[in-house]
Amino acid sequence: MSVPTISRAPERVAAPPELPDLLPPIRIRRGLIGFLRRYPTIAVGGALLLLLILIAVFAPLLWTVDPTALSPARRTRPPSAQFWFGTDMLGRDIYSRVIYGARISLTVGFCVAILASVVGLVIGLASGFVRWADGLIMRMMDGLMSIPPILLAVALMALTRASVGNVVMAITMAEIPRVSRLVRGVVLSLREQLYVEAAVAAGTRTPMIILRHILPNTLAPMTVQATYICASAMIVEAILSFIGAGTPPTTPSWGNIMAEGRALWQVKPFIVFFPAAFLSITVLAVNLLGDGLRDALDPRLTKRP
Amino acid sequence: MFGYVVRRIAATIPVMALVALFVFSLLYIAPGDPAAVIAGDQATPADVERIRLSLGLDRPFLIRFGEWFWHILHGDLGTSIFTNLPVTAMIAQRIEPTLSLMAITLVFAVLIAVPAGVLASWKAGSFVDRAIMGFAVVGFSMPVFVVGYLLAYCFALQLAWLPVQGYTPLSAGVRPWFENLILPAVALGCVYIALIARTTRAAMLEVLQQDYIRAARAKGMGEAAILFIHALKNASVPVATVIGIGVALLIGGAVVTESVFAIPGLGRLTVDAILRRDYPVIQGVVLLFSCIYVLLNLVIDLLYTVLDPRIRY
Amino acid sequence: MDRRTFLKTAAGAAVTGSLSTPALSAGAATRALRFVPQANLANFDPIWGTQYVVRNAAALVWDTLYGVDATLNPQRQMVEAEEQSEDGLIWTFRLRPELRFHDGEPVLAKDVVASLTRWSARDPMGLMIKALQNELTTVDDRTFRWVLKKPYPKLLFALGKNNSPCTFVMPERIATTDPFKQISEYVGSGPMRFARNEWVPGAKAVFEKFADYVPRQEPASWLAGGKQMLVDRIEWIVMPDPATAAAALQNGEIDWWENPITDLVPVLRQNRNIEVDIADPLGNIGSFRMNHLFPPFNDVRARRAILMAMSQEDYMRALVGDEGALWRPLPGYFTPGTPLYNEEGGEILKGPRDLEAAKRLLGESGYSGAPVTCLVAQDQPITKAFGDVTADLLKRLGMNVDFKAIDWGTVGARRAQKSPPGQGGWQMFHTWHAGADCINPAPYTALRANGNAAWFGWPDSPQLEAEIASWFVAKSLAEEQAAMRRINKAALDFVVYAPTGFFLLYQAWRKNVSGIVKGPLPFFWGVAKSA
Repeated sequence: MSVPTISRAPERVAAPPELPDLLPPIRIRRGLIGFLRRYPTIAVGGALLLLLILIAVFAPLLWTVDPTALSPARRTRPPSAQFWFGTDMLGRDIYSRVIYGARISLTVGFCVAILASVVGLVIGLASGFVRWADGLIMRMMDGLMSIPPILLAVALMALTRASVGNVVMAITMAEIPRVSRLVRGVVLSLREQLYVEAAVAAGTRTPMIILRHILPNTLAPMTVQATYICASAMIVEAILSFIGAGTPPTTPSWGNIMAEGRALWQVKPFIVFFPAAFLSITVLAVNLLGDGLRDALDPRLTKRP
Repeated sequence: MFGYVVRRIAATIPVMALVALFVFSLLYIAPGDPAAVIAGDQATPADVERIRLSLGLDRPFLIRFGEWFWHILHGDLGTSIFTNLPVTAMIAQRIEPTLSLMAITLVFAVLIAVPAGVLASWKAGSFVDRAIMGFAVVGFSMPVFVVGYLLAYCFALQLAWLPVQGYTPLSAGVRPWFENLILPAVALGCVYIALIARTTRAAMLEVLQQDYIRAARAKGMGEAAILFIHALKNASVPVATVIGIGVALLIGGAVVTESVFAIPGLGRLTVDAILRRDYPVIQGVVLLFSCIYVLLNLVIDLLYTVLDPRIRY
Repeated sequence: MDRRTFLKTAAGAAVTGSLSTPALSAGAATRALRFVPQANLANFDPIWGTQYVVRNAAALVWDTLYGVDATLNPQRQMVEAEEQSEDGLIWTFRLRPELRFHDGEPVLAKDVVASLTRWSARDPMGLMIKALQNELTTVDDRTFRWVLKKPYPKLLFALGKNNSPCTFVMPERIATTDPFKQISEYVGSGPMRFARNEWVPGAKAVFEKFADYVPRQEPASWLAGGKQMLVDRIEWIVMPDPATAAAALQNGEIDWWENPITDLVPVLRQNRNIEVDIADPLGNIGSFRMNHLFPPFNDVRARRAILMAMSQEDYMRALVGDEGALWRPLPGYFTPGTPLYNEEGGEILKGPRDLEAAKRLLGESGYSGAPVTCLVAQDQPITKAFGDVTADLLKRLGMNVDFKAIDWGTVGARRAQKSPPGQGGWQMFHTWHAGADCINPAPYTALRANGNAAWFGWPDSPQLEAEIASWFVAKSLAEEQAAMRRINKAALDFVVYAPTGFFLLYQAWRKNVSGIVKGPLPFFWGVAKSA
């Protein structure tokens, strides 16, 4: 049957009136700009995050001084032209400490996100493919997930000396179970797919299956999860430093600066305010990025009009 | 249904055992000599040796774990190396404030977040929706102690409406007990509210697309009735799930909130123990909180059958 | 049961279960004096642990044989009369008749003898007396006698001084505990009972009035006179966060704050309901206490290098901020403004700091780069501020700093360890001494250099000890002053510890609290609280 081609209405039928479009025509922009316009949260979050990364990387060039140089003679000065964010109780320049502190927080955030993702991926794959290990591994992950993350990190920090590396390790351990669950879920659902069964039947070895079929499908949810882990890790690091269980007091991190300034928040709120603002903005940026990525990468979620 | 309840409770036991195993093993996972960690910073080599013998490090791991677990089941969580008091006694002294804080925050968060999420989903795409979700993202991003200090500054110091610190036991009156806990509960609840609101909105959005909602509207049911009787009930399973999982946030946040507001609860006990490297106390608190978390999630699991009759394990 | 019934009954149970407990009257709260101490009361044995916070709490719970008054002269407290033999070798003391312990038992001479035995094993003046002791016995239930081989004119001062440890009188069965182990029972002889069941270490300690305490008739003056308690209950509320304590004081949730930090004092002063004043005009001396048993500080050159490089102004400003009236540099070890104060030998602490020379001196002492364990208490503002400055100083000197950020209670326990660093030992810690304790060598525990029996750090200098001994036998003010100058110089040359400066502290209280006096410790007798 051929497709009818009617270019004009037959003469005996009244011509339909020309009605204006009810909705403006939707222009779908291609390329990066189009992508960013459709997902403004990715644009805003990503831009902020990029800015903060640049600040952290180029810290020595941003008119900072040695963040550990103390000079008690000029302690607790309010923000001024010389000390943009003021000085703390030992006379150290808060602006420099906050800028260098960005390095610690971002490092912890990214390292935890990457490490937890990698380890969680391995465990999730193992659990998904090796059936007899699945029950055992998932029970263990359930057990680990039942310990509230901050307490787990606190307990681990109590056993070791304070250092950035140990903080990363401690927080990573708390975040691994969620990633492994996620990966396992993907593996289990994909294992049933016809094309994977076909690949297995064709004799493809497991590593190849993982590489070509499983991994690409885990990338999207794992990326979204990784951003949330990054945000969570930064907050946990700040909390740990605040209660004295995180990075050593000699290294400036946002949590440390806030912990030291907390005694004076009533009279010199700027000591707590600046690192708090930076931390909040950074976490906000990462959360926005995560939200945007989730919207963009998850096909099941209905788009907002 | 009874069988389901029993099966769920039975499934919790191996999880709790695993939690205990993890908490016990932490000491041995970390680098260094476990006896030195327990003995603490102020121990002489003789003390460390004595502790090593009492830990029985020459015996197999599982036997040691079994003994420790046996003590736990009898309520003996060990002895604090700093105060020489039994850890159970120290925890019992401090548990009321923390549980009060968590309970109030839980109730308060659910009462605010669920309606907010429902409202946001009802007016999806509008300014109200964006505003609520905006607050949610911001609330999610601010650390607990920053919110705590801001609230204390505004409401306790400037306006003097509420006390700035401390805890009044329930036995001294409901009103002072409640007043002391309002600001900490709000500070602690911010992240939790954000999480619940977002999840509620997402779940409600899915449900509101369903046909039966359209049918109910066509039938002439009022919007409020539709939202709360039909939609929320069907969306309640993921919401309940996230309420359960989010308790972990409450527990973690309590540690900081108690420091900011000088509440003499388990959170401050943990912070003090960290400063003193008093490992038995930390171990006891972690175990206790994990058990609370598991039990709370068990209750939520059991609530599923009430919320959604389709769920039967 | 079906779903609806389940939900309804659950809701019903939740509502009825809670709001039924009656509110207690607010009157109980107003009669309690709520005090924020300088640190957490972690342990409570005033002979075993010499920290000020322990001594301050112990002063409420136990009474002493004598007590110094505001002029630092010992006055009788538990003792009714004393008699000294002609040659000064035999001291006989009679106790007041109505003294009771908190368990109802009367205070007997045997309890005093046991307490003094335990005290003299730990106290430097007590050790001196013990070295001269022939016997310390009871004569009858209320009388005891101390027989010496040589006269010790400052005996009464030793029995009444406020410097830790004081001669707190405990029941015999408790006082026979080894002086190097903690007591486990707290049965006191003083005006307040320790409510052990309400003690939450790290958060709260409660003291209740002991009804059967009979105070003396004279007006109270520091540790002397009648200890009249005008409140029924004292609550010590531990607040490690100064901002929380400041806010609580402003809101009326606490009544008396022992040591507000200087930065918050302007805010407190603005509040019309709060009084702020200097806590003790005799001030305090900050201390960088070194361990003389192990490197690097076992070599005098390393210790002198510290003196050469340290800036007392940095330490003091880190603590008290910009108020110049609150501190002064201290080129010596004694309390400024007192008759025996001098600055002999203090040139090394004066003038511009010479970091290069200090580094050279440190190198000469053979410092190898090994980690230097610094115990820094984070919950005590004085030591925290000092600790940060020290970490920076040692780093600039090229030392490898092992910064142990711990709490004050742990410092108290760990500094007693004589083990090598790396095996639970230490190389330096920070503390401070009340000015009242540093006026002369008598109460000055931290100045003594008698090796193993000395205060933590165990300095050993026979020469310094000889100079100190010469002060004890000085017969006139001129002789004392000469001896003090020699002591100051010897101590600085040997560097028994490094003084970080002289500073004053504030205390703050609400205006409805009366009777607070200035002194080296907070005195609770005579303090009343009106509504």
